[in-house]
Amino acid sequence: MSINSDASKSHRLKTIALASMVLVGIASAALLVRWTDALRPPPDPNAIDESLYVNGKTARRISLGFNGLVADWYWMRSLQYVGRKIMSHPDDMPIDNLGQLNMKLLAPLLDTATTLDPNFLDPYEYAAIVLPSIDVQEAIRITQKGIEANPNAWRLYHHLGYIYWQQHDYQLASETYGRGAEIPGAPPWMEAMKAKMAADGGSRSTAREIYTRMFEQSSDDQVKEMARRRLLQLDSLDQRDGLRKILTAYQMRTGKCPNSWRELGVPGAPLDPAGVPYILRSGTCEVELDPKSEIPAK
Amino acid sequence: MAEAAIDFQQATQTQIRSGSFWRISAIARNAFREAVRDRVLYNLVLFVLLLTGASIFIGELSGGQERKVIVDLGLSAMLLFGVFIAIFVGVGLVYKEIERRTIYAVFSKPVGRGEFLVGKYLGLCLTLLVNVLVMAVGVSLALVYVGRGWDPLIFTVWPAVLLIYLELMLLTAVALLFSSFSSPALSALLTFMVFIIGHFSADLKSLAVSLGGTSARWLFTGLYYLLPNLANYSFITPAAHGRAPAPGFVFATALYALVYITVILAGATLVFSRRNFK
Repeated sequence: MSINSDASKSHRLKTIALASMVLVGIASAALLVRWTDALRPPPDPNAIDESLYVNGKTARRISLGFNGLVADWYWMRSLQYVGRKIMSHPDDMPIDNLGQLNMKLLAPLLDTATTLDPNFLDPYEYAAIVLPSIDVQEAIRITQKGIEANPNAWRLYHHLGYIYWQQHDYQLASETYGRGAEIPGAPPWMEAMKAKMAADGGSRSTAREIYTRMFEQSSDDQVKEMARRRLLQLDSLDQRDGLRKILTAYQMRTGKCPNSWRELGVPGAPLDPAGVPYILRSGTCEVELDPKSEIPAK
Repeated sequence: MAEAAIDFQQATQTQIRSGSFWRISAIARNAFREAVRDRVLYNLVLFVLLLTGASIFIGELSGGQERKVIVDLGLSAMLLFGVFIAIFVGVGLVYKEIERRTIYAVFSKPVGRGEFLVGKYLGLCLTLLVNVLVMAVGVSLALVYVGRGWDPLIFTVWPAVLLIYLELMLLTAVALLFSSFSSPALSALLTFMVFIIGHFSADLKSLAVSLGGTSARWLFTGLYYLLPNLANYSFITPAAHGRAPAPGFVFATALYALVYITVILAGATLVFSRRNFK
């Protein structure tokens, strides 16, 4: 009886000792990781832009039937790459104006994702929206590649037309919208856009039409957000034109520009479409957006 | 008259029970039980954790592409886990019986070597079937969770699952063939190589076309037709875009798998029946 009880006690002690060893070991390992993290030199800021080791074709070949999953991985990597670059920049930037962020890896990442999965439409859309301010030729090439792989995707014609419109090539934009309009299932506004581009490509109403359609059609939240902000910007441009007319009329009447909104007889500063007050440059008859406003200045 | 009919029925049943089908199904059931006892199906826990994690977190990372990523991830994991089971369990099916000397007990009974191999093969196929079915249900449920309701992608997932299962059946047969004459490590390596080359079959064909020399062209064309064409069973990416394979294509690939498996099992039986266990 006593031998049995001794054996069971010894067994319990052994279990407790081993369990404690496991717990203490895990805690020590965590502490050691923290220590090594502190000792490790800071990461190279250029490492994020290190060239891709494999191109799209090679990646597709070695993916052994997992090409869809690898394409997803490259797609998420592209989003994180852009996100990290934006976060490293102090100012808030719209995704269609990221030229100054030196994103040389974005085009290869999107190209690889679309080579791995040519029917994955979101990377093409992203390339058409984000790439033109970085590398417009790559943006055109990747979107054209998307059209070749998905000839029935009218949305890609819309995006290609958008790139040409941004380049002020209204004739090419009109032709692209026209080709997209011929695809069965394309919405009627594609045909209308063809005519609008040819007749009135540089107008604000064309820009409004483009961003409205982009906001309605896109499934990507970032693209939707960009289109929403561009629409706010267009509203703000209209508002600022109106305000400038009032300021010019005031100047004609009094011979000087007002120093404050009160001088104009307005109780407070008018709000931009995002709800932030406009700034009146005293004595210049110029009205500007507050930098705190979410509306892009350019 | 009625008594005669009953006698005939009983006699037929006895014949069937003592026949090849009965022996094969007994071995298959046993192989399935053994796989379950070996905790092969524990990989399902990992799969469920993977899908649950993906369903919750992938939305934030994928820019609104969580449905596509879940199908890609779920079906790819299904294929990968299945390949590991087919290779690592498949190569041990025969070897373990020889190693433990239980094969002598089996062959002391009226069981043919071919029946033994086919039974083992069907047992592992049953294990893979359970594995694949549970995973497919998991992927469908994840899609329902992410889409907050019924998702039409579920319709395209199941034909892709069928093709994955056919690929795994083919690979299991290959693993069994190698294990009938080689060690488990070498068999696993060779089966994995077949899996890789099977996915490069299109390259073999284009290589054969691009080569100038007649003998080289013949060699690569021969390899293209000889090795299993596993690229045909990869329908994961189209499934993630809501495209299902045509019924004719599924039928042709199923027929190809059936023919190929028959050939491999016949070859394995030929090799295995010549082995001396003394």
